[in-house]
Amino acid sequence: MFTQVDKRCELSDLLGHVNDGDTVAVGGGLSWREPMAALRELIRQGRSGLKAVGSAHGIDIDLLCGAGALAASGESYVGFEQDFGMAPNYRRACESGQVAVEDNCCYTLVQQLRAAISGLPFMPIRSVQGTGFEALHPEFKTMLCPYTGERLVLVPALKPDVAILHAHFADRRGNLHIDGPPVADVLFAKASRKVIVTAERIVEPEELAHKGVTIPYFYVTAVCEVPFGAHPTACYPNYAYDRQHTRHYYDQAKQSADVFRENYLNPFIYQCADHPAYLEAVGGRERLNALAAWGESTEQWMRLYE
Amino acid sequence: MSEPIRTCTLGELLIYQIALTIEDGILAFHGFGSPLVQLALHLAKRSHAPNLVLVAGATYAVNPTPAFLTPTSNDFAMSLGAECGLDIEELFDLAASGRMGRMFLSGLQIDRWGNMNVTRLGNAEHLKLKLPGGGGGCNLSCDAEHVTIWTAAHRAPPDSKGQRRFRLVDRCDFVTSVGHRAADGTPRSELPYRGQGPDRIVTDLGVFDFDETGHARLRAVYPDTDAALVAENTGFDFPVADGLGIAPLPEPDMIELIRRLDPMQIHRRELSHADQNRAFEL
Repeated sequence: MFTQVDKRCELSDLLGHVNDGDTVAVGGGLSWREPMAALRELIRQGRSGLKAVGSAHGIDIDLLCGAGALAASGESYVGFEQDFGMAPNYRRACESGQVAVEDNCCYTLVQQLRAAISGLPFMPIRSVQGTGFEALHPEFKTMLCPYTGERLVLVPALKPDVAILHAHFADRRGNLHIDGPPVADVLFAKASRKVIVTAERIVEPEELAHKGVTIPYFYVTAVCEVPFGAHPTACYPNYAYDRQHTRHYYDQAKQSADVFRENYLNPFIYQCADHPAYLEAVGGRERLNALAAWGESTEQWMRLYE
Repeated sequence: MSEPIRTCTLGELLIYQIALTIEDGILAFHGFGSPLVQLALHLAKRSHAPNLVLVAGATYAVNPTPAFLTPTSNDFAMSLGAECGLDIEELFDLAASGRMGRMFLSGLQIDRWGNMNVTRLGNAEHLKLKLPGGGGGCNLSCDAEHVTIWTAAHRAPPDSKGQRRFRLVDRCDFVTSVGHRAADGTPRSELPYRGQGPDRIVTDLGVFDFDETGHARLRAVYPDTDAALVAENTGFDFPVADGLGIAPLPEPDMIELIRRLDPMQIHRRELSHADQNRAFEL
């Protein structure tokens, strides 16, 4: 139970809760509400040897690979869909052996998290048997169901060391309100040993209660207010996905690890002392205003994808 | 007045063929990274399947009316107007409990039994290419009642050495999602899955169904393809259905709808370069 009355802290202190070698559950999914500012700070602090677990992800896991922070990936997908295709840093890291390939599937992950949440050693599923995942995950076992005689797959409880989430709103006690698809964030929060959170805005507890609590405070270890903390992924309704910046990211990553370091990691992470410096580097107020103005017209919204 | 529609593109034909596999009144789910399927579901719901429970991939939005198709799936533009949203566990529970009527899956490798690989090329010791991974495809290939397989990259032109890199392969390097026989050859009927497995493969060259042994069987070709061309581009031998026909083309109003739903033509990104301008006279 995390019961401190005030869990607010600086971004640098927030990421102090992550240790080298931790299993981390990164919130959001694909180009939606990734805790990108937190991941950039994690990289600035030089954390390494992490194992990422989750469902369908993109730039977040690719960035951790590109910065050499990751040692294993148990995600179900890492890529840029029809937008840019395969994730270049992730591919390189997996193919060179730097990152161990421990791919998972979404429902398998859900059931493993549920086992942890329920205090059970495992959960059964029907699926997975007969696929390549059985060999990839020798820890999955099978048993004959004592009630029906069916052969079921048992997947062990998954208790990440730390969940890293980005929410729309938090209060000082750590109550969280998330708009739109929660993806696996609620499961991550309940299953993980620690939950660290960046929020677009920290509001009074009364205001948070009025909006509705998506994740109750006692799961949450620490919070930090970080406006545009999901950039370049989207955090609707606050701001849309920054495709232009993501294209720049992808173009550098695709060329080589060295080009990526020189043209992306250096200018946007290592040479940015903090998150406000990053926001300036990606175009400052003018760019952020354009992303926040997605709702003014469909035409304006569509132009963000050009 | 806009010009009357007299041709249909390959993309529009594929969307229509995928839409034809969708029954009315079921719950169907499209994953992420699949614009052809996303459009097929919206086309089906606005034509022959008005009672379809359409669940959008990544957002898990139910019956959304997207502002426009985006190149990323977890985008508010894709879930706009939804009746409600599900969370990840609810969506997969629906499939696990037998309430997902149809799912759509693809692969960089697809074998004759409908097994697919989107995990890796090579083996664990010699990883040649790390693919993005299958999302929830593994689970849903077992749990969803029916599966439509699609690919827009069936055509496998020979490279400079005359080698073809097939999409429809003799054997998958890794089985991410399972078809009618497991990786070790076990028939699907001996595994306690809820779902019945894939019943169609819609490709850029034609449409397959599966025979009683669970083997892919060519069922229809397109106005510019034939069985010999399909065979030349396929890494395994396959039976051909009696009365092999030409797949029907969509009606002009369906084509108009697709163009309205996808003003940025995101779905064309699934097509090969050579297929970008392939079109059929209506």
